[in-house]
Amino acid sequence: MTAMPETALAASAASGWSRRAGTLALPALPVVLAFALAAIVLALAGHDPVDVYGQLLTEAFGSRQRIASTLAASTPLILSGLAIAVAFRAGAFNVGVEGCIYVGGLAAAFAGFTFTGLGPALLPVALVTGIATGALWMLLPGLLRARLGVDEVVTTLMLNFIAISLTSYLVNGPLLAPGAANSATPMIADAARLPRLFSGINLNAGFAIALALVVLYWLWGRWTAIGFETRLAGLNARFARATGLDVPMLIIRMMLMSGAIGGLAGAVHALGNVHRFVAGFSPGYGFTGIAVALLGRGNALGILLAAILFGALATSGATIQLFTDVPVEIVNILQGMVMIFAVARFGLLFARRKAS
Amino acid sequence: MRLGARGLVRRFGTLTANDRVDFAARRGTVHAIVGGNGAGKSTLMRILQGVDQPDEGSVIVDGKPVAFRHPADAFARGIGMVHQEFMLVPGLSLLENLILAREPADALGRLDIPAALAAARALEHQAGVTLDWHMPVDDAPVHVRQIVEILRLLYRGADVLILDEPTAVLAPSQVRDLIGLLQRLKADGRTILFISHKLDEVMSVADDITVMRQGRVVASLAAAATSKAAIAEMMIGEIVDAPAARPASAGTAVLSVVDLVATDPRGIVKLRGVDLTVHAGEIVAVAGVAGNGQDELVAAVTGLGRRLRGSVTLAGVDIADLPPSARRARGLAYLSPDRKAEGLCIAASIADNTIAGHHRRPAFSAGGILRRGAIARHVETLLDRYSVQRAASDLPISSLSGGNQQRVAIARELDGAPKVLVSCQPTRGVDIRGIAFIHRCLLDYRDRGGAVLLVSEELDEIIALADRIVVLFEGRRTGEIRRGDGDIEAIGRMMLGERAA
Repeated sequence: MTAMPETALAASAASGWSRRAGTLALPALPVVLAFALAAIVLALAGHDPVDVYGQLLTEAFGSRQRIASTLAASTPLILSGLAIAVAFRAGAFNVGVEGCIYVGGLAAAFAGFTFTGLGPALLPVALVTGIATGALWMLLPGLLRARLGVDEVVTTLMLNFIAISLTSYLVNGPLLAPGAANSATPMIADAARLPRLFSGINLNAGFAIALALVVLYWLWGRWTAIGFETRLAGLNARFARATGLDVPMLIIRMMLMSGAIGGLAGAVHALGNVHRFVAGFSPGYGFTGIAVALLGRGNALGILLAAILFGALATSGATIQLFTDVPVEIVNILQGMVMIFAVARFGLLFARRKAS
Repeated sequence: MRLGARGLVRRFGTLTANDRVDFAARRGTVHAIVGGNGAGKSTLMRILQGVDQPDEGSVIVDGKPVAFRHPADAFARGIGMVHQEFMLVPGLSLLENLILAREPADALGRLDIPAALAAARALEHQAGVTLDWHMPVDDAPVHVRQIVEILRLLYRGADVLILDEPTAVLAPSQVRDLIGLLQRLKADGRTILFISHKLDEVMSVADDITVMRQGRVVASLAAAATSKAAIAEMMIGEIVDAPAARPASAGTAVLSVVDLVATDPRGIVKLRGVDLTVHAGEIVAVAGVAGNGQDELVAAVTGLGRRLRGSVTLAGVDIADLPPSARRARGLAYLSPDRKAEGLCIAASIADNTIAGHHRRPAFSAGGILRRGAIARHVETLLDRYSVQRAASDLPISSLSGGNQQRVAIARELDGAPKVLVSCQPTRGVDIRGIAFIHRCLLDYRDRGGAVLLVSEELDEIIALADRIVVLFEGRRTGEIRRGDGDIEAIGRMMLGERAA
């Protein structure tokens, strides 16, 4: 034995048939549906869908450079997807990862241009600064949810506005680069930059960090006592409490963990791509991460694949309009459709076939 | 024939839940359907109600085959169901619940309360009961809610009533009242389908009895032409001996509560100063009509609810202020009455449910890393020891029957030699064979020196198992009976508030 079902959805289906359908077909269904519907939109707009999809595929995966761009674009999405999935496993819906990316990114950038005397230790120090800031950012909603039952969706959503405005104030005031006109911090020191994985290819060590975290997430869910406890608490908090688990403490810990991974996403973006912090730092990575976590059904491999899908759409969308008359909006429509279908509970369609 | 079935077949994968089921309920009779858990009663009810559709065969209404696609189809033919879990809306009054979805309105579309009340009074008169219709549902005792459920079906025009285990929540005298109500409805020409596995009640109320086992109808016969023993034998295929409870040799006090006062989740005081001691090697049962403080007693002992005053001592240590986890660490085990929502994690696997709570033991994890091999071996041993029928342990626990689910819960709670087991409704929704097995588990545990605090609404169960019985009424003790000292009627009187002499 034993392959434990990874998701509540798969676990709720009773017969072997629907279990297999649940683990294989269901996650792919939203993607298929979204592409099918977008094909109709494309055809109506006078484009050949097959041709456009072929171009998208080429732009996303057509060469080593393009693949590297896709993986680079998916790096923050892998991390934010994991951040959301960790909290979700405990039964908390953290929509505040976007805020964690902002505060984590600024904190990491601050360390990166301030503690320049640290030499080779600067990069890890900057990463840890981002992680710690992100975790701290989730302390309040975690405590409020666990101790007073305050809805974390509301608190984390509101904290996003605070995070974005606070960082925006800081980069326009105290942390504005001397002589700079736009709202940005000074550039970080070279020692704080995430190195490239391969020379000549635009993919930095952030992707390796994200991959490592995917593996850790899988190990955590399958092999650790706290991962097991988190799953039980998320599936049935009353049961978890009755069997002697401290559910509020688990929720606090997983909210902190979620914030830490969100902070790491910000740090990796600051230290690997932007090399400083600017206003409008994240193009909604924290929100796309929700779609990634849902599309991936909380499963490690699923999150990785979903993040690469969204990364591919982002990369190909940016370049396709340079070479064709297909507007970038069509790619946005495609993304939006995948997100909508990812959230829809297709499992409900199969509920009637469920032996009970 | 008012309602029946001909050749009904319903399959779920390889399982045939209903296998060529035939029965016929005559108009103006009480027709009982009996059978153990997994006999196919629930599937049959779902089909009769239009919630589920048969793969073969058909439902027969007034002698003609019909095809119900929705519950509304069945209701249109006058068939209504009283569920085990009542479907009343909290926050509304009894009257509002009665008329919900069929509200009488005046010309302007406003709710016509006098008309509603008149309809309610007419139904009351028919049924021979009296209710305070303006009482909020939340304040109504269980048997009143049940009556409202029944009257609601009548109000909406049903003349076939399907009652699923209607007496599970009632005290003995209330069971007699319900049976009286059913007799009156029958006399009015209504047809009643009575689902139960309590044969005493079935024998006293039913005109005809259909016995089911493993999805098939074993026999359909007139109640007058058979006996309780014969029915029991048909239900289980063989006579299962009731476990012989031998007198306990009680040891030292393991669990004691003194002057315990506790509230329900809404903050209303439900337990008003109770003293109780359970010794090693002893089963102490708490008897009472549902809602008389049993839940709050259990919640205060397990740490899952709120305690206002009093002490809870486990093996000499005051645990009253400890969280549930710390109480468990000191040897408290808890078998929840709410198997689906608290006793088990229904969305998780059988194996996960078996090991949950024990997974931090050194044998099963080291430094926070699970030893999955050791856990898997332990789970298999445990599930085999408790004869849990399963295809594989990594399947969702929802794939098991109620009886097997409960075996998993008991296997987990008795694992690791707890000092005291708080066991609530241990055989709720379990068939006769499962009941005998669970009773034997509890008695074996007691004989090994375990202390059991048993809370049950089944008086037969309490009498079969308990060394001492404490009766609760409105949050206070109304009496205590030692094994062999009292009869069911005496306990029943104490359950309704009469103090022991």
